[in-house]
Amino acid sequence: MAKVLMKGNEAIGEAAIRAGCLNYFAYPITPQSEVAEYLSRRLEDVGGVFLQGESDVAVSYMILGAAAAGARVFTTSSSPGISLMSEGISYIVGDQCPAVFVNIMRGGPGLGGILPSQADYLQATKGIGHGDCRMLVMAPASVQDAVEMVMLAFPLAEKYRNPVMILGDGLIGQMMEPVEFPDHLKTEPSNKDDWATNGMDTRKSNSRNLIRSLFLEPEQLNQNNLILRAKYEQMKKEEIRYDAYNTDTDYKVLIVSYGTMSRVCRTAIDQLKAEGLEVGMIRPQSLFPFPEKAIEDAATKKSCKSVTSIEMSMGQMVEDVERSVKGKLPVSWYGKCGGDVPTPEEVIEAVKKLVE
Amino acid sequence: MEIKLEGIVIIVGNYGSGKSEVSINLAAKKKHEGADVRIADLDLVNPYFRTREARGALTKLGIDVVLPPQRYLQADLPILDPAVAGMIRSPGQLSLIDAGGDDVGATVLASLAESFKDRSYSMLQVVNPLRPFTDSIDGCLKIRREIETASKMTINGLIANPNLIEETTPEDIINGYNFVEKLSWASGLPLKLLAISSGLLPKVNSKQFSCPVLPIKRQLVPPWKKAEKF
Repeated sequence: MAKVLMKGNEAIGEAAIRAGCLNYFAYPITPQSEVAEYLSRRLEDVGGVFLQGESDVAVSYMILGAAAAGARVFTTSSSPGISLMSEGISYIVGDQCPAVFVNIMRGGPGLGGILPSQADYLQATKGIGHGDCRMLVMAPASVQDAVEMVMLAFPLAEKYRNPVMILGDGLIGQMMEPVEFPDHLKTEPSNKDDWATNGMDTRKSNSRNLIRSLFLEPEQLNQNNLILRAKYEQMKKEEIRYDAYNTDTDYKVLIVSYGTMSRVCRTAIDQLKAEGLEVGMIRPQSLFPFPEKAIEDAATKKSCKSVTSIEMSMGQMVEDVERSVKGKLPVSWYGKCGGDVPTPEEVIEAVKKLVE
Repeated sequence: MEIKLEGIVIIVGNYGSGKSEVSINLAAKKKHEGADVRIADLDLVNPYFRTREARGALTKLGIDVVLPPQRYLQADLPILDPAVAGMIRSPGQLSLIDAGGDDVGATVLASLAESFKDRSYSMLQVVNPLRPFTDSIDGCLKIRREIETASKMTINGLIANPNLIEETTPEDIINGYNFVEKLSWASGLPLKLLAISSGLLPKVNSKQFSCPVLPIKRQLVPPWKKAEKF
């Protein structure tokens, strides 16, 4: 298929359709409302359903309902909206249903602002809902990346029967880039008869499926949590994704950065290279699970003297980077969190300070 | 070929058709040619990548930029500055109005109906056939109808803006131009301008086009890129 020029938000909507997801429930919020705009036009053409919920909380339970019935389903929102969905997400995790959530982050806390931010890192990777609740989190750095991650998110959600989150910042939603779409996937979760409450017609076995997160017997609740834990451990083994930039050099500083912030860092790294200072970068594509080993390996390269986490938050990823580096090198932070994305020049200045 | 646009020029089109880049570059070009130019950012729908982000470059060129007050520039609110109505009443040599995307963005124009009364204006629809919803003649005509209904005004010209940003090829320009020519025939709207990135200009023979070419120096760039210098 030929390339088209798309806004990130439009491309996310189209990618979901191409992934075979025809159910989209959402509540509008800047800077991701164009997903709903786009899908309100497109889903009708392909026989899908777009339903605007009466609130973000309602949407999270509409997602649970569709997922429990075995349908591919997703929603998109932005920071405050995701906070409201947090309750439903926890239920979906406890119920072991697959679904995809997209968070196009804006500034916070509270109402914050409508400009780009990465300040929902901790919420997404460690505190998305109450209980022992985790979800796989992937962070795109380009519109093409967003397309591919959305298309990957559905089969991964079904593989683990667990929600998956695409964590993009406002720029991912709003910027325009040429994209192309891979072919459609199969349109139904392949394993759904094993768990979905979709009637007995197509079932091989005669036992009914029951979806629930309520377990009043302590033994049963513990058992459910052990199942969830085993899934999180499997994700840590099988779903780590990252890429490396300029790490085949004798770099003095290692940057860890994700999303569009990593693209600013790339420009900075290229400029620093021209000035004679080599800097490497690991860009986590999966934030949970976090690419600890790749960062540890990159940090322990002999030439590397310093590690820095560069992000549009007040240092939320630093702990994960420190945990990866295991105290072998100092880990610093540089970032901004008001909506104006750090410039390559600001990144260069911050990096130069580390080698002075 | 000279770009003959004057008075009130309103730039409309679907989301992401390139209205703001076209408006900014048209303002800069006409200013360069010696015209007195004003530009108003009426995009009340898009949160990022708006004309207001190029206000520094435009002001430096001596172009009067009409914007909401500074403290509301990043607000998610539909603010219409009263200066816009004044600009329509006395447009000078060239007053450009960059409207928001789709019918939703054009709705704001209807609220200026009183100011537009009995005045002549050019209202030009920007078309990028490499965008969703405007890759077919029917799609473009549908957006035209929606914008006209919402704005209570009449589109009277087209601007072809075929591009994939940095990945645009000379073939994309030729194919895009041919597409908008067909649209012009189907709609009865004259093709007023063809926008081509200034980097691509040397690779395209401008003489083959029936309309003037507007060179585009990209201003609304992501933070890891630099705006091109005018």
